[in-house]
Amino acid sequence: MIFNKFFNIAKENGINESEISINKSTSFSFSLFKKELVSYTVDSSRKISARGIFNGKIGFGSTEDDSPKTSEFLINAIKETASLSESQDEPIIFKGADKYKKKNVYSKKLAERQTEDKIKLCRAIEEKLTAADPRVSDVQVEYQDIESEKTFANSYGLVLKEKGNYFIIVASVVIKDGDEIKSNLDIFLETDPEKFNIDEFCDGIVKKGLEKLGGESIKAGKYKAVLERGCVSSLLSALISNLSSEEVQKHSSKFEGRLNQKVLSPKITVCEKPNLKNVFFSYFDDEGVPTKDKVLFDHGVLKTYFYNLVTAKKDGVESTGNASRSGSKMGISFANIVLKPGKLSEGELFEKIGNGIYVTDIQGLHAGLNSTSGDFSLQAEGFHIVNGKKDKALTLFTLSGNLFELFNNVIAVGNNSKLLISSFNVPSVAFKNLKVSAE
Amino acid sequence: MLNKSLALEVINVASSTGADFVEIFNEETERRVYSLEGLNVDATSITNTSGIGLRLLKGTRSVYGSTSDKSRKSLINLAKTLSKSFEGERELPELNGFDNIKVKKIHSKSAPISTVNSAEIVSLLKKTANIVLSYDKRIVRVITSFLLTINRVEIFNSNGKHWVDNKEYGRLALQSIASENGKIETRFDGPGSQGGWEYFTKTINLEEIAKNNAKKVILMLGAKECPSGKFPVIIGNGWGGVIFHEACGHQLEASSVAKGLSVFSNMKGQQIANTCVSAYDDGSIPNEWGSNNLDDEGNIPQKNELIKDGILTGYLIDSFNGRRMNEPGNGACRRQSYKYEPTSRMSNTYIAPGKFTEDEIIKATKLGLYAVSFNGGSVDPSTGDFNFGCSEAYIIKDGKILEPVRGATLVGNAREILKHIDMVGNNLAFGQGMCGASSGSIPVNVGQPTIRIDEIVVGGRGGSINDF
Repeated sequence: MIFNKFFNIAKENGINESEISINKSTSFSFSLFKKELVSYTVDSSRKISARGIFNGKIGFGSTEDDSPKTSEFLINAIKETASLSESQDEPIIFKGADKYKKKNVYSKKLAERQTEDKIKLCRAIEEKLTAADPRVSDVQVEYQDIESEKTFANSYGLVLKEKGNYFIIVASVVIKDGDEIKSNLDIFLETDPEKFNIDEFCDGIVKKGLEKLGGESIKAGKYKAVLERGCVSSLLSALISNLSSEEVQKHSSKFEGRLNQKVLSPKITVCEKPNLKNVFFSYFDDEGVPTKDKVLFDHGVLKTYFYNLVTAKKDGVESTGNASRSGSKMGISFANIVLKPGKLSEGELFEKIGNGIYVTDIQGLHAGLNSTSGDFSLQAEGFHIVNGKKDKALTLFTLSGNLFELFNNVIAVGNNSKLLISSFNVPSVAFKNLKVSAE
Repeated sequence: MLNKSLALEVINVASSTGADFVEIFNEETERRVYSLEGLNVDATSITNTSGIGLRLLKGTRSVYGSTSDKSRKSLINLAKTLSKSFEGERELPELNGFDNIKVKKIHSKSAPISTVNSAEIVSLLKKTANIVLSYDKRIVRVITSFLLTINRVEIFNSNGKHWVDNKEYGRLALQSIASENGKIETRFDGPGSQGGWEYFTKTINLEEIAKNNAKKVILMLGAKECPSGKFPVIIGNGWGGVIFHEACGHQLEASSVAKGLSVFSNMKGQQIANTCVSAYDDGSIPNEWGSNNLDDEGNIPQKNELIKDGILTGYLIDSFNGRRMNEPGNGACRRQSYKYEPTSRMSNTYIAPGKFTEDEIIKATKLGLYAVSFNGGSVDPSTGDFNFGCSEAYIIKDGKILEPVRGATLVGNAREILKHIDMVGNNLAFGQGMCGASSGSIPVNVGQPTIRIDEIVVGGRGGSINDF
């Protein structure tokens, strides 16, 4: 698609300001089950989306068709949708910034990796997991690699391009011991193929799966709890979704009016670092604004909301580079969230709380967590902590609390930070006053 | 529509290395979204997606490719790439042509939504939003939207068959947010149908749905925290069917059953539920949200019996996974779009009506929870552990509804829970949702009459139920 031609036709149709984004991606995936290659998938796709201002309102269209008819379709879609809009927001097409921090996150090594080598690697994972323990009854291994290219251009002459690739390995085991069935899985996501350590990956999956066997029930009550990194990431993500300026401006965020106030425990410092060079890196947002690193909570004090151009203008501030388009709607998103680690290892966190629980997994976030009110009640897995040590596994229980209270009830933040598939880099954290329900 | 000679060429190239089945899935979809923030149209979008999915099977192996480029060069290239994963000789005879199979339409509608003008759709959304907004000042925000999906599908396969099908889905989403003294509560309702515009203007009473939405968000705003523990729980009809969907439905799908990964693998003929439970999945119900004229591999959806009087009698089977189970596909093969390899999925899944009225079930319960509606839930099919979060719940005491409670989550295990259903009501209803699994997000109905579970673990922050 030729951008300038599109912008010119748009102008002839009364759309003086407009922008185009083209997302192209190719992906390859397969899965192994009982040594068989049970699925093998390739995909190549492109999506062309356009926004434009028509009669003072913003309109939007999107298509997967790249043909001589594409411009006409997009322009008609912009005109039709803009004509329906009654939004009071002043539409903005970004004129561009002086500086963009572009980084190369494309791995040539990954792009050149041969299919046979990918299958060989996954067969080795499958064999290792199967051989690890006789109680491992089923193993599934899935591999996927994705290459994507994003181009953003607008009628002010701004053209931005970004290319990246990464691979994901998902391996799961089912463990059977008599009538007892447990499962465990792990996901590895990286750009550089050399960063994958098969022994570390497989040992962790089986070890954690086996530890779940022989669980005992827990008595309902209030507990001190160490939450493993994945659980911290899920709950922190829900908490900081309340930093969306749109939610704040529409009075649906509990952080409304709390800038520069202490809203969380002083042990909590959280930053967004979209410019970190890793698989989640992006140097511009969906409006073409440069992304930038920022402190969200400094020792519990709220420092900023997430803005796009429209919400920033309303508050008289600059966009924070967090625009994210969902359909025609320009919303907010975030990536590379870093919770500043503390000094204690996970073992020392156990010692610190003495007696309590170690929560290794929480499920049901989409149904059991209301990020607006902060209330959550979730299915959980974990272990007893007795006299400062990890003890027996626990049978199914629920963990309840409120996000805003939880992150004020921090006992200590661990030092075992790791970048997770959620794009969050967080350590384990010890909390007090978590409600547990069980049989 | 794909040129038939190109479809023939693609299938013949794809089958040249030994595939025993080849299928082309050609799809074009137009999505229109109308969103209102309060009483103003906030965002509208028109999105077209279009592409081809190509599936090759050989025994218990499948290879799948998809592309949004429908040119001959791209499709032949895709066929060649996929065929390379098999290394044998041609097994299928070269295909010379296709039989056009007529698709019987099961939905009856006098007014397709695609013929309704945008102003009328916006006007209905405004009317709905206004009812909620004017109910109570504590309702601080209402977001409504209407999603129209017009889908045209064409399937060719190496058995020489060709189908063309058109679908039209309409869904209205209504979300309200109420706030008072730092407390915030949200409520979602999302009626959807394939029954045309009249579903929204005549079949359902949208005014009642909007009033109920407003009433319930205010009610839950003032509710106490739900108690925790293990006690009897009555599950409401309609959306309450999500319990069966999560706790049982997913584990009756051939995608996990065939590989022995489901807790219900190899259990046909065995008692898995209380004798008062019978359950079905029926993708052939006219106008319903989860129904289809044909499934995504050309089979006709049917009423599949899953459980009869507590005994496991059937699974949901797609042809590919059916190969491992020595059973044919039973019209349950579905996918979100051409980008997804299809597999066995639910459609309209429900527990069949029993003999009790809702009142009788409440009266028979001394102390417990009445979970009327849910936000959703999830399950691990290999262990059967599930959870679901309640959006509306009440304490039942001495056979009467006592008061609303918020923040309840039910957790349990599929193998156990079905045996603990001890009362089944006579008021079967459906609720509409989107179900996500390996072949993407698809429209499904969950359904059931009011049922009672004699004991289940309830998570909440409100202390002991004995304190109520």
